[in-house]
Amino acid sequence: MTSSTPAPLAADTQWDAGDLGCGDLVLELRLRMEAMKPGQLLQLTARDPGARADIPAWCRMTGHTLIAEQHPVYQIRRKEN
Amino acid sequence: MANRFCVSLTHAKDNQDKATVGFVVANAAVGSGKETLVFLSVEGVRLAQKGYADDIREEGFAPLRELMDNFAKAGGTIYVCSPCFKKRKLDENNLVAGAAIVGGAKLVEFLSEGSPCVSY
Repeated sequence: MTSSTPAPLAADTQWDAGDLGCGDLVLELRLRMEAMKPGQLLQLTARDPGARADIPAWCRMTGHTLIAEQHPVYQIRRKEN
Repeated sequence: MANRFCVSLTHAKDNQDKATVGFVVANAAVGSGKETLVFLSVEGVRLAQKGYADDIREEGFAPLRELMDNFAKAGGTIYVCSPCFKKRKLDENNLVAGAAIVGGAKLVEFLSEGSPCVSY
């Protein structure tokens, strides 16, 4: 599930990924999401131009929920399991 | 039968034959009604810059610029490898029609949903 509407929710964790992109970005993102509790919200800042397409795709594949996206800022809710 | 088709293209002016044939095959796929993706990586990302392909014309084939224009007009999609693009310091505001800069996750999603892929 994705949404393109920015929702300035209070995040449990923030991560500024800088210019990290492609495989480096999503692998680190996976590790950070796994370290969070189910239902918690991560606010990610990812400036790589590929993030616009990659973050929604990654969420669809992994089952985490993209709550809001306004490049370079993305809010992702960790899945239950 | 899969309704998608992917052409992975890693060459530009370093191998104009492969660059051209990649788009010939992509046009065959989109012309056959397939949801078609051309994934440009390594040197192939240079093809995503407007004007770059204008002087590529392989004997026996239509000019590459024409092949790419036809691909875009037919609804084909071009994914451009983000790290390859950044490495070459290309201009993300000067992309050809149908092109989008993506990272690996977007390609993985497309292929994982079921798509054959041919590489040039």
